[in-house]
Amino acid sequence: MKIVVCIKQVPATGADKRYTDDLRLDRAGVEAIINPLDEYAIEQALRLADDGSADAVTYLSMGPEQASEALRRALAMGGDDAVLVTDPALAGADEWATAKVLAAALDKLAPDVALMGMASDDARGSLVPGAVAAMRDVPLLSYGSELAVAGGEARVRRLSATGFDWIAAPLPVVATVTDQVGEPRYASLKGIMAAKRKPLETWSLGDLGLDAGELSGAALTTVTDARPPEAKAPTERIENLPPAEAAAKIADWLAARKLI
Amino acid sequence: MSNDILFLAEFAGGNPARSALELATGAAELASQSGGSAVALAYGSGAASGAAGLGAHGAARAIVLGDEDRPAITYAGSLVAAVREAQALAVLAPATPNGRDLAAALVGTLHVPAFGPVRAARVVDGVLETEQATLQGSVITTARPSDGAPAPSVVLVLANTFTPAEGGAGSADVSQAPAAAGSALSRASVAESHPAEAKVVNLEEATVIVAGGRGVGGEEGFGPLRDLAAALGGAVGASRAAADAGWIPYQLQIGQTGKVVKPALYIGAGISGAIQHRVGMQTAEHVVAINRDPDAPIGEFADLFVVGDLFQIVPALTEEIRRRKGHEGA
Amino acid sequence: MSYLPSTEHDELRAMVRELADEQIAPRAAAIDETAEFPHDLKELLAQQDLLGTCFEERHGGTALDTVAQCILVEEIARADATTSLIPIVQKLGALPILLSGSEEQKDRYLPRLASGEWLIAFALTEAAAGSDVAANRMRATRDGDDYVLNGSKRFITHGSVANVLTVFALTDPQAGGRKGMSAFIVETDTPGFAAPRVEHKMGIRGSPTAELTFDDVRVPSGNRIGQDGEGFKIAMATLDRSRLSIAAQAVGIAQGALDASVSYASDRTQFGQRVSDFQGIQWMLADMSAQTEAARQLTYAAAARVDAHAPDLPYWTSSAKLVAGDTAMRVTTDAVQVLGGYGYITEYPVERMMRDAKITQLYEGTQQIQRLVVARQLLQRAGVDTRGS
Repeated sequence: MKIVVCIKQVPATGADKRYTDDLRLDRAGVEAIINPLDEYAIEQALRLADDGSADAVTYLSMGPEQASEALRRALAMGGDDAVLVTDPALAGADEWATAKVLAAALDKLAPDVALMGMASDDARGSLVPGAVAAMRDVPLLSYGSELAVAGGEARVRRLSATGFDWIAAPLPVVATVTDQVGEPRYASLKGIMAAKRKPLETWSLGDLGLDAGELSGAALTTVTDARPPEAKAPTERIENLPPAEAAAKIADWLAARKLI
Repeated sequence: MSNDILFLAEFAGGNPARSALELATGAAELASQSGGSAVALAYGSGAASGAAGLGAHGAARAIVLGDEDRPAITYAGSLVAAVREAQALAVLAPATPNGRDLAAALVGTLHVPAFGPVRAARVVDGVLETEQATLQGSVITTARPSDGAPAPSVVLVLANTFTPAEGGAGSADVSQAPAAAGSALSRASVAESHPAEAKVVNLEEATVIVAGGRGVGGEEGFGPLRDLAAALGGAVGASRAAADAGWIPYQLQIGQTGKVVKPALYIGAGISGAIQHRVGMQTAEHVVAINRDPDAPIGEFADLFVVGDLFQIVPALTEEIRRRKGHEGA
Repeated sequence: MSYLPSTEHDELRAMVRELADEQIAPRAAAIDETAEFPHDLKELLAQQDLLGTCFEERHGGTALDTVAQCILVEEIARADATTSLIPIVQKLGALPILLSGSEEQKDRYLPRLASGEWLIAFALTEAAAGSDVAANRMRATRDGDDYVLNGSKRFITHGSVANVLTVFALTDPQAGGRKGMSAFIVETDTPGFAAPRVEHKMGIRGSPTAELTFDDVRVPSGNRIGQDGEGFKIAMATLDRSRLSIAAQAVGIAQGALDASVSYASDRTQFGQRVSDFQGIQWMLADMSAQTEAARQLTYAAAARVDAHAPDLPYWTSSAKLVAGDTAMRVTTDAVQVLGGYGYITEYPVERMMRDAKITQLYEGTQQIQRLVVARQLLQRAGVDTRGS
């Protein structure tokens, strides 16, 4: 059973982030890491490899040349090999173009499970997994706190309004998992050293039979303005008061705002 | 292309989800700006009988995709067919797991513009305009479909962006969705169902939330928070640390990987305010934080920051609120 | 001789730093307070393959160069000096086997050390033989195909938690320490061995410093390292290399103290400005930083020369340990000063770092011994006959 984990390299959380003058996300010169939510997908895939459910784990990423760093870091955690799809035409690709490229690469890799994390850290949207499933005409099992594969079928444990359900679909599937999978493992030193020797292939759009013109060019949405959020009134503080007095002050504050 | 605004209306257990009512109101608002109608895309158990009732919240028409209790994603095929036929200006979807899945299927199949999750949407001179908080809330971007982009635009909408309109009298015209091409997305099914015994409040619907974090220290520590929530008529939520520790169910986790909430009042007790939690509640109208660490990050974006022991302050506050409400009642 | 860190060095540093910041630093205060050996962190380091960096791949190690091994120790020590002793002593105890052991002995013991399944300690020092190694009195008497060990050792780091020891004892008491001492591998579950007590110490409190007693401990002759009488030479060759780990540890401790000082000073305000805005504080921080960097670079220069088999190795490693140890003491003392009253209380880590730093001026050869080594090397270069000193 073969798993391909799709990962994305993103700017580190908390690093200074900005929009460029032409209102695109400025990714230059910022420390890049594996999208933290993808680490849970990596961890889930490696657990399935550890317990013998999966006999091959491949990482797939679409991005600039630098994204190979994220793939090496993933390989250091475990897994067998990696593929980077990179092409100048893909700079600034939107979710649809990303999904199109990943779908084509996944069709070529033909895994039983295409596994992804929840949403990218730097541009919320999370439409890529579902779009990929629709494009490939493959079932989608999303928002799983756990993924299990057996007997030609995959299932995810998904929170319901009150408890949880196991949702199942026949292989092959696209699946996404949440952080409830559990803490991702650290890469060991031997893992880091082995990662350098694991195969990492680079594919271009041509290798996927995709037309650069179709994918690049104007995005379907245009940002017309980017501004800081509304200035907030400075934080009021209550400290060094006995609890009863503090409570009275809080209640006054709430009452003044008609909250009680 | 028409000026209609479509919206996803999820039904479960015979009733519309709150998101359905919010989006009905929102779609009606946008439709009045665009000169079109608000049209529901109803699915789930109770959709067939309940779709007409969406008229009371602003829907002029309703298309029923299906009435069975099955995973939302399995309705993608009929959704795509209905959206293709409708040729509308926009489709509103809730920024929930189900809403995102269906929105993704639309974008993947139809290659249309996608926005969201948005905190505001409007139609200006016939063009959709959205507002979104990006880069973890540090930048607000305004966006619209590019010139020449195909319709409809798919818009993910955060909970509490629209408030359901009360007391409308209309009834929506109900029709069936067109026949759908077979889609692999329909091949998911519930293999096992494990409902919990107690009903868990949907935090996205709460107007007051009292949330607890690592500082609460344990399951019992949530007792005083529940009392305060009850006194305020609100719900209890938590940070991921509390959920991971098993002190409360995951359905109550607020944050990047949990629920995104927009209550009128959020009180965070024993929560440090790390960014992963912050992105789940920073759009609350009023934020009160109680923490014994005077340097806790939450103190930087709270409206009111109370430094002290939550186990003393929270009960005292509950007492004070009950006292004041008691006086009002008398 | 180039010793600029490579990409691999930077990657290793980042990996260890992340582990140290997330898993080791939060435990440091508790380890110091309870003075308990952190078995959980030993497991963590073993799992991350960080206890096998000085062993060959054929023994299950990762065979990192000596600069990388220093970076590993440095980054752990920056978070916690006690925990940094785990990889340090694993190498120290194994060095006699690495330098002079037979292939059979290496195959028998090194794999379990590389994996971290077993801990090893280095048992040389005795109550009456510290700096004066030759004054050792423990005896190893030949009996058939075995040696029987009798005596005691003192101040043996990890002696009470180790599974195996390299022990130095007199096989020929008449010949004295320099010519009559031999080295042995002793498994600690051998009857007659005991670790009756551990010391209460000023610093590195989570690292057990043990007294060991050997009461007719029987060791097969196949466990003797090298030839009879080579013990002193093996011990000196070991210390010539192991003292470099202490230099790295000292650099790490200094860096941790410096980082804590910069963080505190840029946060705390007095007299209407940040403490770090005061020129006097800036001068202190600058001196602390420059001295730490100098110690670091000298340590790496020495490390590169270990790998290059430099003939004047002791000159380099003793210089590094001398400079780094004194630097750690000075920088941690200044760190307490920068934090003022807060530097003195246990809520902040610098008082622990200062107590931890002191040992780097004492063990694996006191600073005074290091000076003798450096002086001897210096004078030899100048052609002076130093054999009488």
